[in-house]
Amino acid sequence: MFDLIREIAQTLRNNRLRTILTGLAVAWGIFMLIVLLGASKGVMQSFEHNSSEMGSNNSMTIFGGRTSKPYKGYKEGRWISLKNSDIDKIEHDNREIVSKVISYASENTNISTPRDFVSEGFDAVYPDAIKTNNLGQMKYGRFINDRDMEERRRVMVLASTHARMLFPTEEEAVGGVVTSMGLAWTVIGVYEHPWRSGNYVPYTTYKAITGNTDEAYKLDVTVEGLKTEADGIAAENAIRQTLARSHEFDPEDQNSLWVWNKFVDYLTTRAGLGYLDLAVWVIGIFTLLSGIVGISNIMFVSVRERTHEIGIRRAIGAKPRNILTQILLESVVITTIFGYIGVVFGTAVLQLISAFVPEMAYVAVDLNLAFKVTVALIVAGCVAGLFPALKAIKVKPVEALRDE
Amino acid sequence: MIIKLTDVNKTYPGAVPLHVLKDINLEIRRGELVSIMGASGSGKSTLLNILGILDNYDSGEYLLDGVEIKDLSENRAAELRNKMIGFVFQSFNLISYKTALENVALPLFYQGVGRKKRNLMAMEQLERMGLADRATHLPGELSGGQKQRVAIARSIVTNPSLILADEPTGALDSHTSKEVMEVFRQLNSDGMTVVIVTHDPGVGAATDRIIRIVDGEIAHGNV
Repeated sequence: MFDLIREIAQTLRNNRLRTILTGLAVAWGIFMLIVLLGASKGVMQSFEHNSSEMGSNNSMTIFGGRTSKPYKGYKEGRWISLKNSDIDKIEHDNREIVSKVISYASENTNISTPRDFVSEGFDAVYPDAIKTNNLGQMKYGRFINDRDMEERRRVMVLASTHARMLFPTEEEAVGGVVTSMGLAWTVIGVYEHPWRSGNYVPYTTYKAITGNTDEAYKLDVTVEGLKTEADGIAAENAIRQTLARSHEFDPEDQNSLWVWNKFVDYLTTRAGLGYLDLAVWVIGIFTLLSGIVGISNIMFVSVRERTHEIGIRRAIGAKPRNILTQILLESVVITTIFGYIGVVFGTAVLQLISAFVPEMAYVAVDLNLAFKVTVALIVAGCVAGLFPALKAIKVKPVEALRDE
Repeated sequence: MIIKLTDVNKTYPGAVPLHVLKDINLEIRRGELVSIMGASGSGKSTLLNILGILDNYDSGEYLLDGVEIKDLSENRAAELRNKMIGFVFQSFNLISYKTALENVALPLFYQGVGRKKRNLMAMEQLERMGLADRATHLPGELSGGQKQRVAIARSIVTNPSLILADEPTGALDSHTSKEVMEVFRQLNSDGMTVVIVTHDPGVGAATDRIIRIVDGEIAHGNV
């Protein structure tokens, strides 16, 4: 085997220019394949990453709207406002698909200190908002806890950007006091997130301030066990039905409830990206295919040129199998070596892209892909070499020797 | 008997079939130095190809060192060529990008002999041909006579039963031709069976027996 490799190396060295030109076609094909696949994978991963930062691909946010159709004696144009009792109803009626419903509220208001103010407002939430909003570890202090909820404490969690504006440092913000809605709030924690910048207060505190009504503002419904887009739409409709019964509006009336179905959005985007991935594979494979056809072509020329040499080898005892193996291996060696040059350059380019273009930070080549490419290269090399090799052994030794 | 041909016929098919060998009967004993002579088109090259298992024959029987050579698979033919026959050609047929040593060692490569051992064996044959100092030269760097001696070294490296030489002096000047014939005589006196195909009477005269072929038949009344 080692001898055979040596034999092949000698042949390829002997035909250096031809070998290099052939190889470049393959290297280019692989290079394109790697760069395209890496880029599409990067888009895919940054999408996945963003959706996981967003917290929940498996949730829907629901808030009340205004009816646009008359129903059961009610006129159109009636405001529908969600109630806390709806939480239980949704959970009860849709037990199979809904794992959790929480309500939260948003207040557009200023938050100020003697130093500065921000007009971002805040969200009134439950303690588990730290998880559902995917805020990660707190940078300083803590998040809202159950005691805050029970005692309706006037406490606030700030985003790091706001903490820096309102206080000299983020660390000093914890324990500091801010003013909002005309009331003083104690800052209990600061978090940092790539793009989230909301501030948070306990839901119960907010309800007490705003009059402790039964109004639920917004509902965040966590769904589970959904697989397809149809599942997602069915879940949305089931929840609409429940709320339509409870609030007596036409379930077909899209305006009476606003539903942001994040699960369906996620699926739609991902399906689109799936097509992108497929398109990239197709383009890449065809580019590679042209490289393989190139190799095959060159191997035909090479076999033709070496007919006499093959005749000599046959005369002194090379079996057809020896000749076949040699030509196939030559083809595989060219494909693999130059293919790997393509892989290396492709990877280098991807690394450069991910280093210098922040939007493409998730561009990457993984081992799995490298393995697939290796297998593809070896198969490609065999296919490219097979027909020329078969042609080579079809020539009789006598005829091959006569060929000068 | 190293070669025994009985009623061997060969016809090249075509619009006008060409009956090149007609009922050839031929015996060559072990240790003989024989030449096969004939005009071009007489069928002597076809006969050489059949003897060298490079071509098939249509009818009759060919025994090479007791082995029947008939309708062999390419693999078996290659194996027998490798083990039993050493070829020497008019145009040397050395591989141009391999050194003299590598060329001589090539038949051993196809026998699966390890690199070190086959280089040793090849070197031994080069020494025998007086070309030890040319081992690392490429064929292009050798003279015609040297090339032919490398080719002879290659033909004997597997220690075959038979050396088949096709016009071995055809590309050489008369002085070099004599040298090469001297090499064949030397090999013969060491016990090797040598069959030389030639149209050069001088070469024929340097062998022990001449077999003449005329129009595909062996002419009787041997010299």
